Amino acid sequence: MADILLVLHTGCDGSLSKGALESIATTVDLSAKLGGSFAVGVIGAGAGAAADTIAGCGAEKFYVVEDEAVATPRYSSDAKAATALIQKAGAQIVLASGSSRLTRCMPGAAYRTGAQIDTHIVALAVEAGVLKAQRWYYRQRILTTLSRAARPWVLLVEGGIQPAWQGAAGVAEKESVAVEFTAVEQRTVIKGVESPAADAQTIRPDAALLFVAGAGWTKKQADGEYHISDASTLIQGFLNKAGASLGSSKSLVDLQSDGQATLSFMSHMNQVGQTGTTPRHAKGLSTCCHGEEPHAVGWRFINERRAINMDANCGWAQGKADVVYIANAFEVIAKVNELLG
Amino acid sequence: MCSLALGPADCTQMKINQMENKTMEGLQIVVCGTLVPDPLQTLEPVTTPTVPGLKNETMLPSVLDPWAAHSLYEAANLAKKVPGSKVYLVSLGPKAKLQQLMMTVAQKVPFELVAIDGSASGFTDAMEVAKTLAAAIEAIPGLDKARLLVFGGCASASRDAGVTMQLIGEQLGITDQFVGVDEIRMSDDGSFSVLERIEGGQYLASTCAGAPAVLAWATGSLPEPPNNPQVGMANMRFVIPALQKARPVAVGVGSINFEKSEVPAQKRATRIVKDVSADVIAAEIVEWIKG
Amino acid sequence: MSAIERMKMEADIVCVGFGPATAGFLTTLTRALLKEDGTPAFESKVMPGMPLQIMCYERADDIGFGVSGVVTKATFIKASFPDKDLTKEIPNAVAAGDEKVAYLFDYLGASQRDPGTMFVDAVFKGGRFFMGKCPEAAELPWIPPFLRKEGGIVMSIGSFVSWIGAELMSSGLVQIWPGTPVSEPVFEGDKVVGVRLADQGVDLQGNPDPANFMPGMDIHAPLVVVGDGPVGAVGRTLDDHFGLPEGNHQHDWAVGMKAVIELPESCTLKPGTVIHTLGYPEQEIFGFMYVYPDRTASLGIFVPSWFDSPVRTTYTYLQHWMQHPYIWRHIEGGRLRSWGAKSLQESGVRGEPYLTGDGYVRIGEGSGTTNVLTNSGVDEAWHSGVLLAEGVIDLLQRDEPFTKANLDATYVKRRREDKLNADLQKAKRARDGFQDGFFKGMMGTGMTGMTNGAMNVSSQSRPPSQRIKTLLETFAGRISEQDLAAAVAQCAKDKQPLHDTLMVLAGWPEIKMDGELLMSHQDVLFKGGKVQAAGGFANHVTFAHPEICRTCKERTCIEICSAQAIMPGEEGEPPEFDREKCIHCGACVWSCSKALPEDPEKTNVLFGAGSGGLHSNEN
Repeated sequence: MADILLVLHTGCDGSLSKGALESIATTVDLSAKLGGSFAVGVIGAGAGAAADTIAGCGAEKFYVVEDEAVATPRYSSDAKAATALIQKAGAQIVLASGSSRLTRCMPGAAYRTGAQIDTHIVALAVEAGVLKAQRWYYRQRILTTLSRAARPWVLLVEGGIQPAWQGAAGVAEKESVAVEFTAVEQRTVIKGVESPAADAQTIRPDAALLFVAGAGWTKKQADGEYHISDASTLIQGFLNKAGASLGSSKSLVDLQSDGQATLSFMSHMNQVGQTGTTPRHAKGLSTCCHGEEPHAVGWRFINERRAINMDANCGWAQGKADVVYIANAFEVIAKVNELLG
Repeated sequence: MCSLALGPADCTQMKINQMENKTMEGLQIVVCGTLVPDPLQTLEPVTTPTVPGLKNETMLPSVLDPWAAHSLYEAANLAKKVPGSKVYLVSLGPKAKLQQLMMTVAQKVPFELVAIDGSASGFTDAMEVAKTLAAAIEAIPGLDKARLLVFGGCASASRDAGVTMQLIGEQLGITDQFVGVDEIRMSDDGSFSVLERIEGGQYLASTCAGAPAVLAWATGSLPEPPNNPQVGMANMRFVIPALQKARPVAVGVGSINFEKSEVPAQKRATRIVKDVSADVIAAEIVEWIKG
Repeated sequence: MSAIERMKMEADIVCVGFGPATAGFLTTLTRALLKEDGTPAFESKVMPGMPLQIMCYERADDIGFGVSGVVTKATFIKASFPDKDLTKEIPNAVAAGDEKVAYLFDYLGASQRDPGTMFVDAVFKGGRFFMGKCPEAAELPWIPPFLRKEGGIVMSIGSFVSWIGAELMSSGLVQIWPGTPVSEPVFEGDKVVGVRLADQGVDLQGNPDPANFMPGMDIHAPLVVVGDGPVGAVGRTLDDHFGLPEGNHQHDWAVGMKAVIELPESCTLKPGTVIHTLGYPEQEIFGFMYVYPDRTASLGIFVPSWFDSPVRTTYTYLQHWMQHPYIWRHIEGGRLRSWGAKSLQESGVRGEPYLTGDGYVRIGEGSGTTNVLTNSGVDEAWHSGVLLAEGVIDLLQRDEPFTKANLDATYVKRRREDKLNADLQKAKRARDGFQDGFFKGMMGTGMTGMTNGAMNVSSQSRPPSQRIKTLLETFAGRISEQDLAAAVAQCAKDKQPLHDTLMVLAGWPEIKMDGELLMSHQDVLFKGGKVQAAGGFANHVTFAHPEICRTCKERTCIEICSAQAIMPGEEGEPPEFDREKCIHCGACVWSCSKALPEDPEKTNVLFGAGSGGLHSNEN
């Protein structure tokens, strides 16, 4: 009986995501710290083949649920499958990446197995034999270290805390876990994935740089005019040339709903901060944005930060960024786009 | 289509299958949501004897948790479209703060408040909260699970765990759950389609045969409704009695042992570059991007 | 607007604004609404069978969001709660303790001082031996009785009003609705039949957006209680309609800007300490600092309308005041946690409007309750609400209508016969001397105070717009004409206010921001929790005659704007207004240097009811 069970799922093409590979690394690391062993459970289409790609990870066993019912993400079937894996493996600690599929179903599996569950874990440590986890509360404002005595304990870990596992493929020692899927699980039917067209896709979690556009782009400029279409062109140009991901401040996104002149390619999905997302790019460039706290908390995991702002006393200049360029973003980005070619 | 070994959920399913030929009855949309500190406030952790809390927590102005608020507006919008529907707001928080919260929320959309007097702290254990909320939902007079949709936020601005709604669903025996919802489209026969946010700015599109279901919302697609005094007046007539009879409940940290809570220093030594041409700045930025 | 169909709602009593006055009114009223057996004492006239439907509409997003550290003797407030220790009930309230009044010296030499003030400087500097050895200041060895706050309470009005509001709401007897701006009274001839809420779903100019238009509802009620403060839209519309009583004027104003700070660990000031300052950064500017428990203090300054510089800006002066050694020694190393500003009606009882009309009454600061001798207003505002409640209860018990005659016979009669009025009358001319300068003002206040109003200095009062000097006049002898012109041109080009540039040219040092206590104006705005206003409302600050603005050289509206919401626009164009930044202090209204052609007592700035404003209840 392994000490740790790592739960993975495949994508629709049968592969394991970067987040999944990172969670393998986390599991290997934790297992070593605990001085114990781990097993891997894989859910989804091509789960068996996926297990083979990570055969060399050091798991003592691979459990696989490959039924038609789990070919697509769905709470009811995924929760049932994960429950079966946890029960089968009998591990006291269950790890999983915080993918949307596992975020959705693992709480259900925790409930059904009487397990505790904590999510958005950013660090794991073992001190004096006690497993300790770190997570943020109040939207990246308060960092907490906690432990639980009760078991089993399900922990969903964030991306980016370990590099993706790399190692030998092979033939994994697999055991198929039978799960009884019934009509109950068929009430929800997945129709498919809706994506914006490739050139309209502005959210790029794997990009090297996050580009944040603030409300200043849509305000009247020094000549007293609005330059919305220039702003649009410059921002989209930058995104394409730099392959950057687009974020926004709440004030810019709110302007959209206020009937003000807008940047049509932005939506609430782009919003970063207190009521938006917390992206994890290595670099972030903030433009025309003041850098107030509720927005800046969303930058918690951006390592290198620079800002372009006309105000030398803006929040970014008060210790929230590494470099602040006091300049007109329209001019600078135009030049940057030229240089990026 | 049922297998031989029927569990309680399967029986519900059969009953629903039988109902599917009827015209759709009104929905019971129960929104779970409570107060969180206004995002514009400075938050500092303090350690009370056993558990962390926020400095001056009772004094902090609060708002309805943003995603829960979106789910409330979506619930009201849906209720308007399906005749005979009703919206409930089940809210766990300190009674005095819930009352304060109602002054800002009750003017937005019609709902019936179910108030539970307890902690709204983000540090409480999600399972304890879920059990409390599920019990309050079960106790709603006239609750009909065949017509029940449980709404809430996909995570909160306090605990931000993204697990409470699923745990409530499990307590209630609801196995159709959607997380990170931005849209629901209801059909006349009671089935509906849903868009859930997944990785990379994409949506997972599904259809569901109908209630019961749990929808944990992201931002949805509706703007915040303006304050409407008539709505407020109508809501308030029942909000005050609901608050007056709010049951006190102890909701704690469960099995969590908190070791340390801190606000990590975010202060960097910012280099301010001014009185320099856009050309020079652009070159430096490009070097940084490529480097 | 008459073509717009508006929904109507009916109530028995509608209150506009939830501040100390309305709090006093509703607290007293609700105590009489239930019989001994718990059943309602009065039946609603608009919903037969139900108890009285009493609504209060407050503009701010929360009732606790006003700006407001105060020290008050709280005589009237305490009388309303004879069995309670208010310092235990009101969060963070503490009994007033050690009081100081300090005259601050112009240690930088940049201040603009009259000969009279220079004389006062010399007196205080010379007499320092008797006045405590404080850095660059002299503490009065004796505080005149009319300034003393002994037995009083240091508290936040926001905390006080939130406490009252929570009690009122939980009684179920009244409904208090924040986030609901009221734009005007609803008239039928000279009778007020209700109030109209602000339109929503309109563009910045007020034009309806067809998709979202929600015309402001009309709330009809036999009695409208107007407690919306000195710059409230309903009160000022009533003043436009009826005028002010003969001989009354509202020429005197101040903007109070304050911060709540966390004191450094080294600070030795005890909770309850009350410090008032005068003389710095300009002779016209007064300051205060009140110490709460838990190493917290509320501090700030008042910039009055008789400070005639067109670039009188409050925030920069606040920062200079904070850095004065007398204050800085206590706060250096501390952290600013919250901030805000508000207009104060400093005409006192002389600014009293018509207190009643058919269907309406005025209470609170907007009804002239500020005592300009003792510099107090909260207690007085509360009591005006109490007196109104007593009158209303009287009328309810006799089932008499809320006509002007009845309201005069009950509310106004009580108010006139009350100690409140006697004190206000004594204080009436306490500030008159300031119209002619600081020295005369101090003499006048002293005279009024020491003779209990029997002897006063006299002066001619003018509306603020007639007082404001030109830039040349203001900086004569300090900045050359060429430098002045160049600075003005550069600021116009940069679209920045003049004040900081001109203050530096006049000898004030630049403020060194540390991000903790001293920060940019935009950053401090966020400390007030102010980032946004609800969408769908029109601009609530407009310029009545934009052509007048085009040729205005002073643009004092820009300079005085507490939040930098009014900023220079295009050259030659009127200033621009950003409603999302406005904290609704109203200073622009009385700082505009241009009289309104239709009514020279008013200015070219129109200030209506809007959404948004301060968002911190730490105040």
